[in-house]
Amino acid sequence: MKFFEATHHFNHSWAQVTAANWMKYPNERCPHVIAVDVLDRHVDPETGILHTERLLTCNQNAPALVLKFLGGSTLSYVRETSELDPKTRKLTMKTQNLTMCNVLKINETVTYSPNPQNELSTVFKQEAKITAGSALSRFSSYIEDFCLTRFRDNAAVGRAGFELVLEKLKEARIEATTQLENAATAATTQLEHAATAATTAAASAAVAATL
Amino acid sequence: MSSSIGEKCTNIKQEYDACFNSWYSEKFLKGDATPQCDDLFFKYKECLMKTLEEKKLDTLLADARKDNPFPKNSSSSSSDSTKKE
Repeated sequence: MKFFEATHHFNHSWAQVTAANWMKYPNERCPHVIAVDVLDRHVDPETGILHTERLLTCNQNAPALVLKFLGGSTLSYVRETSELDPKTRKLTMKTQNLTMCNVLKINETVTYSPNPQNELSTVFKQEAKITAGSALSRFSSYIEDFCLTRFRDNAAVGRAGFELVLEKLKEARIEATTQLENAATAATTQLEHAATAATTAAASAAVAATL
Repeated sequence: MSSSIGEKCTNIKQEYDACFNSWYSEKFLKGDATPQCDDLFFKYKECLMKTLEEKKLDTLLADARKDNPFPKNSSSSSSDSTKKE
C-alpha cells in the first residue's frame, strides 16, 4: 500500500472554486475524461448537506501492452461521491476506480475549504491510497511505486487543468460585469436624454400655454 | 459542459447541468436549498439508467456502493449503501 498527499492553494474564493468544480470537465489538460454523469444528487433536509454521486468515464492511458495483458477495455470508470456543507463551507470528494479493481485500487479523498487567512483563497487537500490487488501480489510493490509516480504526475496535470477552468470562469464573470455596467451606463444616458427632452417639451408647452 | 456516457443523454444532461450550476451559485450558496431542477434531472436520469443497464455498468456500481466511502455519516448518500467490511 502506498500513500500520496498534497496541499495546494487556489487563488479564488471557496464559492467560486466549488462552483467551478461542477464544471471541471471538459478541460484541455484532462482529455482522458470523456464523460461525467450525475447518478444521484440531493440535499439532506436535516443537515443541509448537498450529496452528489457521479460517474466519470475515462479513456485508459495505460500502455497498450499492459491493457492487453490485463484484458481490460480501453475505457475505465471512476465513481465519485461528495458531500458539500454550505454552513461549514467544506467540500469533500471521494473517488474509487470501478474497473481493474482486482489489479489495483486507488481511493482518493480531496477537500476544498476556505483559507482562514484569506477569504479569496481556497485550500485544496488531496490524499490517495494505492493498493495493488492480490492477483499480482509478487509485483505489488513495483506496481504501487509505478502508480504512485503516475498518480503524482496526473495530480499536477489535474490541478493545472482546474486552474484553467477557474481562470476562464473568472474572465467570463468580468466580461458579464462589464456588459452589465455598459448596459447600465447606456440606460442611464438614455434616461437622461429622455428627461432633458421631456423638460424641454414641458417648457415649450408652458411657453405655448402662456401665449 | 461535459458529455454523458450515453450519447443520446448528452443534450438533456447539459440542460440539467446549466440549471444546476445556476441554482448552485444563485440559490444554494445563498441559503435557499429549494430544488429547482428536479424535472430535468428525472428526464436525464431516466436516459442515463437505460444506458448504464445497456453497458452493464449498473451491477458494477451496485458493487462499488457496498464500500461506503462516508461510513460515519450514515445518511442516505447512496440508496443501497449496506456496509460490507
